[in-house]
Amino acid sequence: MATLVLDNGAYTAKIGYSQEKVSVIPNCQFRSKTSRLKTFTANQLDEIKDPSGLFYILPFQKGYLVNWDVQRKVWDHLFGKEMFKVDFADTSIVITEPYFNFTSIQESMNEILFEEYQFQSVLRTNAGSLSAHHYFHTNPKELCCLVIDTGFSFTHIVPYCRSRKMKDGIRRINVGGKLLTNHLKEIISYRQLHVMDETHVINQVKEDVCYVSQQFYKDMEIAQQKGEENAVMRDYVLPDFSAIKKGFCKPREEMVFSGKYKTGEQILRLVNERFAVPEMLFHPSDIGIQEMGIPEAIVHSIQSMPEGKNTTSNISFRIADDSKCVIIPITYSWEGGKLLAQNPDYEEMVVTRDDFEENGHCVCEEKFDV
Amino acid sequence: MVLEKKGSARVEAGQRRVLDEATRQRRLTRQLEALEKDNFQDDPLSSLPPPGPTARLPAFSETEEPEKRRRKTRGDHFKQRFRKNFSALLEEENLSERAEPNYLSAVAPPSSLPPRPFCCVCGFPSHYTCTTCGGRYCCTKCLLTHRETRCLKWTL
Ligand SMILES: [Zn+2]
Ligand SMILES: [Zn+2]
Repeated sequence: MATLVLDNGAYTAKIGYSQEKVSVIPNCQFRSKTSRLKTFTANQLDEIKDPSGLFYILPFQKGYLVNWDVQRKVWDHLFGKEMFKVDFADTSIVITEPYFNFTSIQESMNEILFEEYQFQSVLRTNAGSLSAHHYFHTNPKELCCLVIDTGFSFTHIVPYCRSRKMKDGIRRINVGGKLLTNHLKEIISYRQLHVMDETHVINQVKEDVCYVSQQFYKDMEIAQQKGEENAVMRDYVLPDFSAIKKGFCKPREEMVFSGKYKTGEQILRLVNERFAVPEMLFHPSDIGIQEMGIPEAIVHSIQSMPEGKNTTSNISFRIADDSKCVIIPITYSWEGGKLLAQNPDYEEMVVTRDDFEENGHCVCEEKFDV
Repeated sequence: MVLEKKGSARVEAGQRRVLDEATRQRRLTRQLEALEKDNFQDDPLSSLPPPGPTARLPAFSETEEPEKRRRKTRGDHFKQRFRKNFSALLEEENLSERAEPNYLSAVAPPSSLPPRPFCCVCGFPSHYTCTTCGGRYCCTKCLLTHRETRCLKWTL
């Protein structure tokens, strides 16, 4: 029996068989200005020659799966003959869902996976749990880890001890990739060029130029310098989708510090936006979201744990200094799912279709730690 | 300047309007809601010219294809559940009555750090507050830009 691992994110799906490699695919549908009657699904995005003004149709809302019509279109495409050619009668699936997923969404998930697609067995889990599994697997001496998972819709801080999720310690900050991109769009539109309709393009700008500042106020000073002194400043060449297929930063030596470019490309000048936008993860209150940022929420999470009760706020400095901090790639959870599928106890962790047909949702509720 | 008694604004020293706290809060809420949006433009499909008498547009909500190879699922109740938005589902979960931890209890509480003011025009640290709307600014130039663009208007 094959096992398909699907880390079903609100923006991208990370999918592949446990014996093969992972693919990262948009978990949504698109419509474009140039072919308005057609709806493009998942990686059909690559067929759109001019993705300016791309319109997104997403299955998730605020991080939870609500638009099943869209999700099923994407899954039909992923599972179908164009992509993974799933033989449902002989396939098990590992699939992720958000922390504190709603009961009705979990039940819909069970029904769709077992009754509509007819997978032979299912394992529902959280992406962070797969990451923790991956981490403990490669670091067998470690007893605890803290997963900080920034997704499309929000960020979760989740302690794991001896492979167990510590539910009481979970903290959610309502800042994620979508908010950062929208905020970047908003300030660029206000300060220089109207880009509110260009989520796809500005998302790429964010990935290409934004960074987490290690010295926030120092970088603010540098960003205020004039001309070449300003080491933070970048000029970003926007794609026109004919000569320039993908945006890029002007090389430093080609930058024009005073006056206009004569090359005629469309340029965005990014200065404090580069680090002020990601800063929202650390200080959501900067834009008026009354929630702790990541460092404070980590302390809050740890202090809620039985062993963490007596720790003081000094912990926030210690975290930066001596904890082992691993920045993990987007496919880390998927790799954790792959390891799980190869675990000799895998069969014990799943719910089979027979099981579900006989006992319904309650057997899933008992078995899955979600 | 014409005096407007709208409850949302009062006139200070016969000069500029001053937005009250409730209005400021509404503006902030609207800004934060905008940051949640998936699209700011119209759906390209809906902006097509009206179809001719025989043409039929596959409107998105009608894209359900006949489910040939699918087994029939559990009827109306099932179908309906697939069409609820986030707030409806959240309400249905009735979490305030449920045991913690849950979705509601897990949200990070407000920060205990002091707020960091940034100029709403240029984004650099700011020392001044606009008396009209409470927005922050860093210098006269930014204040003037702010008054012309955002202060009492919505450009976006
Ligand atoms: Zn300013
Ligand atoms: Zn103002």
